[in-house]
Amino acid sequence: MFDIFFVQQLVNGLSVGFIYALMAIGFTLIFGVLNVVNFAHGEVYMIGSFAGLMSITAFAPPLFVVILVALAFGALAGFGLERIAFRPFRRFRDEASLKSKAVREATLLSSLAISIIVRELAEKIFGSNMQAIPQEYLLLTPVQIGPLTFANGQFLIFGLSIAMLGGLQWLLKRTRIGLAIRAVANNPMGASYVGINTERTIIATFIIGSTLGAVAGLVVGLYQGAIFPAMGFAPGVKAFVAMVMGGLSSIGGAVVCALILGVSEAVTTSFFAQGWGDLVAYVFLVITLVFFPTGLFGGGRERV
Amino acid sequence: MRRNIAVGILLLLVFVALPGLLSAVGGGYWFRVTTTIGVFAILTMSANLVTGTTGLMSLGHAGFYGIGAYTAALLATKLHWPFLLTLPAAGLVTAAFGILLALPTTRLIGIHFAVATLGLGEIIHLTLLNWVGFTRGPMGISAIPGISLEGLFPASDIGHYYAVAIIAVASALVLGRLTHSYYGNALRAVREDDQCAAAMGLDVVRLKIQSFGFACFFAGVAGALWAHTTGYISPADFRFSESILVLAMIVVGGLGSLPGAVLGAVILLILPEVLRPIGDYRMVVVGAVMFLCILFLPRGLLGETPVLAILRRQFGLAWDRTKHLGWRQ
Amino acid sequence: MSTTILEIRNVSRRFGGLLAVDDFSGSVGRGERVGLIGPNGAGKTTLFNLITGFTPVSSGFIRFDDVELTHLKSFQVARLGIARTFQNLRVMPNLSVFDNVSIGALGELGHSPLAALFGRREQAKAVSQRTWEALERAGLQAQAGELAANLSYGKRKYLEIARALALSPRLLILDEPAAGLNDTETAQLAEFIRKLSNEGLSLLLVEHDMNFVMNLCERVMVMASGRKIADGTPHDVSRDPAVLEAYLGSEESDSPEEAAA
Repeated sequence: MFDIFFVQQLVNGLSVGFIYALMAIGFTLIFGVLNVVNFAHGEVYMIGSFAGLMSITAFAPPLFVVILVALAFGALAGFGLERIAFRPFRRFRDEASLKSKAVREATLLSSLAISIIVRELAEKIFGSNMQAIPQEYLLLTPVQIGPLTFANGQFLIFGLSIAMLGGLQWLLKRTRIGLAIRAVANNPMGASYVGINTERTIIATFIIGSTLGAVAGLVVGLYQGAIFPAMGFAPGVKAFVAMVMGGLSSIGGAVVCALILGVSEAVTTSFFAQGWGDLVAYVFLVITLVFFPTGLFGGGRERV
Repeated sequence: MRRNIAVGILLLLVFVALPGLLSAVGGGYWFRVTTTIGVFAILTMSANLVTGTTGLMSLGHAGFYGIGAYTAALLATKLHWPFLLTLPAAGLVTAAFGILLALPTTRLIGIHFAVATLGLGEIIHLTLLNWVGFTRGPMGISAIPGISLEGLFPASDIGHYYAVAIIAVASALVLGRLTHSYYGNALRAVREDDQCAAAMGLDVVRLKIQSFGFACFFAGVAGALWAHTTGYISPADFRFSESILVLAMIVVGGLGSLPGAVLGAVILLILPEVLRPIGDYRMVVVGAVMFLCILFLPRGLLGETPVLAILRRQFGLAWDRTKHLGWRQ
Repeated sequence: MSTTILEIRNVSRRFGGLLAVDDFSGSVGRGERVGLIGPNGAGKTTLFNLITGFTPVSSGFIRFDDVELTHLKSFQVARLGIARTFQNLRVMPNLSVFDNVSIGALGELGHSPLAALFGRREQAKAVSQRTWEALERAGLQAQAGELAANLSYGKRKYLEIARALALSPRLLILDEPAAGLNDTETAQLAEFIRKLSNEGLSLLLVEHDMNFVMNLCERVMVMASGRKIADGTPHDVSRDPAVLEAYLGSEESDSPEEAAA
């Protein structure tokens, strides 16, 4: 017999999970195409939410314009990130160098450095405390469906997530740029040999991934009512966990694992304090890495 | 002979010249700054062993630093152990944790290992934060006794300076022996190409675990020193950003080079002190410096290759023809 | 002491549905120079990986001087006395030539941190001596202080062999040693390998350069599609119809009919 409380937690967990999923996709896309982890992905999420807040305080536009603003800033941030933290390390074009350990370490460190700079600058500009989102925009209106209570924000999260996931699938399967992304993810050298502009594809991947992350950040801000500059770190790591659990190169796997993660977290938080909920993701991470190096759904990358 | 002179000068600097200078400039505050540098130098050297020399990128080193600090703090405040006991205890407990946690992760490579250490570091931090019954959580542990010798001298800033300096020099000696030896070559082989190293007969798993163990021992020692010299610790001292700070220090100094690690620590700690107006932007500076170093000085300021060459020429072998190629240990 | 130093018996390696090595049996005699040839994809490198512990054996066993090797890890195989070089030279570019070769010495002589800490010089001296000897054998003593990254392709090959020699191996496995070398360099390499063999080293090598193999090796094993299809002297193997078919496909057998038509 289904405990209503438990089902409620499930729903809450799913909405958190969808947020992680949106971010996890960004990670997976970038990892697929460049074989590097983008440590600054969490900051893009933060940028989306702050961009939204700034547009709200500046000229109070309707909600969907706020979303567009977040999208735009996310795309810009993604582009900037790629140019600054990743491109300078692709000095050598041959396969061996691209996948070399030194290059990957360098990009890991450089994206890490950039994420620190962005986060600290944001803290200087906005202060490290929580910034409240104006009342009118909050999506906390409760909606009763049967015995369950939802916030309308959760509907937005579900709707937006599914729309974006669907949009991404369409993009990857039905458009040329999507084909280019899949090709480069599969074999960068081969892709360039058949005339695909790998540089542009990489940029496009960053932009797409970052847009998803930025929108996720905005929606979370609207749903939770307050944002702060360091908000990107934890979801970033959790999205990474989802990606690893899902097998590194599988978008579907990452999404499923993100949902699992979200639900586990919600359940843990309701039984223990908030702090222990965060622990869940990290424990999952370590367990997955140690016992399931190819991800829960297999097909992960072998060692290079 | 040349070697002895160089070492002698360095020791003179650390134990006589510098304290004299700092006393003249006003004591107190500056002693605390250099004590911090000393603690971080030990921490950085330990991180250098595992990340720079062995190539295991650890993003959770602050967690082990924290285990050391809390071990010392709890032993001192709850069981009233003296500093001379808490220090080695902290080192050993941290080393034990390090080995335990390293065992399952040795199979992991590159980015996977890095992220696993990030996860471990966060797990440690969150546990310190939330296990309020044991660690007092965010309130931290206060009133940790300073470093003093019963009846001989009480805790003081200058006393702390000397204690840290002595331990830092001792740590440098030990870590130096490990790094600048054939054993160091074995670790470097693990870094360069661990599959190939195994094919050449090296027990790579054992080397990784040993390296992690030693590094964690010294991280624990650094933690104990931090606890005793500052008197108060809280989980906030041991977050991810501290791990990144340490990482930045070894990148700036030169991955794999021991003197580089110390230099990196000095630079990244002095910078915010010297450039007071930007002191608040410490982490931004750290991030920026790290980024610029990776971009323009991938070998860091005192890169491993030149440092090893210098060390060998001065302190290395002299077996006839192989005059400056091999190691004495 | 038997005359066989390496024995491979019914070894198979399965990757999912694919049999990369299929029931392979063969041997290398003490002091013998054995070649392993076969078309690309025949499973030769996989076989090397099986012998040296890089990949686990699915079935069968491998014995080295009467010691069971089958389930040993690669560092244990190396310490038993089997050293190898790699097809795509795996030299450690950031270390000096001397340090590269010392890795092999460390593998065999051991690498204890306690030795480093409590300073007994004998072990270090032994490592240095062994390293230097390997360097001299390979003719690299002049380059000993150079960074390995600065070495030419040809010299890197000798570096890999020197590193393998530092292990004091009894069996040396060479994976395409002559690849990328010109005729003069190839001849010099063959000379060098022959010298090593005369000093008592057993050899197993994979090579595509047929002249190299036929002139250097006393016996040749031929692999195709994971299976052994021939095993004999170079002279016999080069005339074996199964071998010719594996290399040339069935075009040869078509031509007489085509000629008749």
